[in-house]
Amino acid sequence: MTAAAAPVNVATPVASEAERRAHRSARIRGIVIAALGVIAFGLAVNTLGGDVTFKFWLQQQGKAFAQVDTSPGELWILTGLATGFTGLWQLWRGAAVRWRLWLVLWLPFWVVATMGTLLDRQTAVLTNLFSSTLEYAFPISMGAFAALISERSGMFDIAVEGQMLVGAAAASIAGSMALQWLGPDAGAIAGPVIGPAAAALSGMGIGLLMAWLAIRYHVDQIISGTVVNFGALGLTNFLYLRVLQTYTDYNTPPTIEKIQIPLLADIPVLGPIFFQGTPYMYIGWVVMLVLTYFIFRTRWGLRLRASGEYPQAAATVGINVIRIRYRAMILAGAIAGFAGSYLSLHSAGSFQMNMSAGKGWIAIAAMIFGAWNPIGAFGAALVFGFADAAQQLLSELGVTIPPQFLASVPYLLTVVVVAGVVGRVRGPAQAGQPYEQG
Amino acid sequence: MIPILAVISAFIVGSVFLIFTDIPALQQLFGGQPLGFLGTALGNVVKAYTALLTGSLGDPSRYADALRLGTPDAWATAVRPLSETLVAATPLIFTGLAIAVSFRSGVFNIGGDGQFVLGALGATATALLMRGLPAPLILVAALAAGIVFGAAWGFIPGFLKARTGAHEVITTIMLNYVALQIVQLSLRTDFMRPPTGSEPISKVIDFVRVPALLPLPGLRLHWGFVVALVVAALVSYFMFRTTKGFELRTAGLNMTAARYAGMSAGGSIVLAMVVSGALAGLGGAFQVLGTVTQMSNDIDAGYGWTAIALALLGGTRPGGVVVAALLFGALNNGGHEMQIETSIPLDLLVFIQALVIMFVAAPDLVRKIYRLRARGTEPGTPAEEGAAA
Repeated sequence: MTAAAAPVNVATPVASEAERRAHRSARIRGIVIAALGVIAFGLAVNTLGGDVTFKFWLQQQGKAFAQVDTSPGELWILTGLATGFTGLWQLWRGAAVRWRLWLVLWLPFWVVATMGTLLDRQTAVLTNLFSSTLEYAFPISMGAFAALISERSGMFDIAVEGQMLVGAAAASIAGSMALQWLGPDAGAIAGPVIGPAAAALSGMGIGLLMAWLAIRYHVDQIISGTVVNFGALGLTNFLYLRVLQTYTDYNTPPTIEKIQIPLLADIPVLGPIFFQGTPYMYIGWVVMLVLTYFIFRTRWGLRLRASGEYPQAAATVGINVIRIRYRAMILAGAIAGFAGSYLSLHSAGSFQMNMSAGKGWIAIAAMIFGAWNPIGAFGAALVFGFADAAQQLLSELGVTIPPQFLASVPYLLTVVVVAGVVGRVRGPAQAGQPYEQG
Repeated sequence: MIPILAVISAFIVGSVFLIFTDIPALQQLFGGQPLGFLGTALGNVVKAYTALLTGSLGDPSRYADALRLGTPDAWATAVRPLSETLVAATPLIFTGLAIAVSFRSGVFNIGGDGQFVLGALGATATALLMRGLPAPLILVAALAAGIVFGAAWGFIPGFLKARTGAHEVITTIMLNYVALQIVQLSLRTDFMRPPTGSEPISKVIDFVRVPALLPLPGLRLHWGFVVALVVAALVSYFMFRTTKGFELRTAGLNMTAARYAGMSAGGSIVLAMVVSGALAGLGGAFQVLGTVTQMSNDIDAGYGWTAIALALLGGTRPGGVVVAALLFGALNNGGHEMQIETSIPLDLLVFIQALVIMFVAAPDLVRKIYRLRARGTEPGTPAEEGAAA
């Protein structure tokens, strides 16, 4: 640290190349955002006439509600104000602005205003929108946490998709077996525990296999991840067609129902959104907070990050990099598998072929978006979950925009972010690099 | 040796899964008939693998009939399985070559799927656009469009990697999904869609087709297979006999060394991705114009992923890739027969293919299982190649 701090004390008249580049891109960013603000005002002029109603359930669905009447024009004016202010602020302060945080200020306005325009003269229930956003975000955020843990330890985990898929199958089979063997009463209680536990175990097994292949047999981590994704698809399809389709008893697990948290569920508006979900939702928040604390505030987290950034240095101070990587992969597998159990247990109540349907990849996208940080990843997962929920809401209300547009947004955004077009994020330096114990 | 043992091991593991998902047989086991269980289960495995074999290479009795009768119809019946195997191998050769080129050049192109489907889409759109013109002209233009679309979809991640360092594994995977969305979107347009029906398929391209290879009735084998072999030879020549190919391989072995030797690292990344994408795109074009005659949602059937297995199995050499593609083509095609005869799902073979990748990628594991002595590192991924050299 001292070596790095030294040049700061010596006056350096010439800014480094990196700094110049940062300032230049900050200026470009400011201009772009300010221009967007102007565009928003332009849109306001065209849409002042319309009106739109947003409804919120107060306590429970279908009961009393609050509503907001507004017009797309008003929404666009607000959007223009927020965006324009951010753009000017960015131009004024330059590279010092943490623009990623500022996205939170102005981007939601765009989303709301766009929806308002699309929903012109209609009523939309936003409580449902938000609560399903949280639900959809769960598997994505958990998958992102899994990928994040393994990448922080220096292992590429592109097998989240496969782990989720196997987790979904394992949860359904184990839950159904519990129901079969323990009877409907005990099974209905034990099943929702045994199912997710089996999913987590299967994920751990895959994580262990990948770590073993990568560390012991030097299999490239991208190859082993591909093996898992490909093999998981083949194996679960095979299982479904050969066993589950015929013996449906093994594919009817007890589902995991929504629970109401006492007192909190009665809070107006917030209650139905935050406190009437499935247990998965709450587990997701807990995992996010615990992971954030553990990765950035504990010795384990420091060691984890060290073996991802510079394993040789970590080994020099006595950290067992190999063991850390094994443990990280197993933990990541458990989380990804558990996330998979959500797919087959929450509302579907059975396993279907290729159930994960790319969610594992969106999870990796969310991890990159969140800059390898649990809270960031959760935020990104919320954005992607919102895209899903909004698409559903719009199609229910008969607003037809081709779903392919929204569906490809996460993937495209990821490419843009990875390429650093709008502010590059950097992952652990040694992720995916094999490490040989010296 | 390792590839052969890997395939054998994968089949052994596959049969274990077959046995333990054989519910009727398992019921025998739990009913107190362990020998009956073994007999039934093993019998089913043998039946499945036999069906796989006859489904991919043909039935000996049919060949005998054909020799005896000598009619074109009898011959067509006899060689149909073999013809279908080669048909199934054709797209695999193209995508396998695509991935092999990228691996040799030190670039992980996981986007074979996306490049393949966009190649197919480009070929379809071009053919539909040129409807009414002379068939050979359409054919050439559509194939060229396949190459261009595939190459373009490969260029994007290559360019991003060269310019900004964006990891190609992430970008190619994401672009795979974008490509699938593009296909879905385009299949909804009136230009692509047949006038009736709502399935995500395009109009049938019945006005132009890659000519059939064999003069027998009803066989789908077309000249695309021969072109695939020629392309494999060309790729081999390009990679091992030209300066550009040497630069690509050098970059694959050691990017830093290549840069110090005055080669353009960014240039070789882009070139590798463009060549790779073009190969996959051409494969997609031949699939539409030669085999399936219409564009659909599920045209890719995982070729881009299988290609990774092929590239590894073939030691990232064009010749090896062709052999591996023939093997996997036989598996995929024979699998259909297996599914019909024994109602064992085709997906078993996807699982077996994954196991093949695993075993090929972990040569030490295979050596350990079969107690082989280690003889230096087998050429596999570029990195291992570097360690061996």
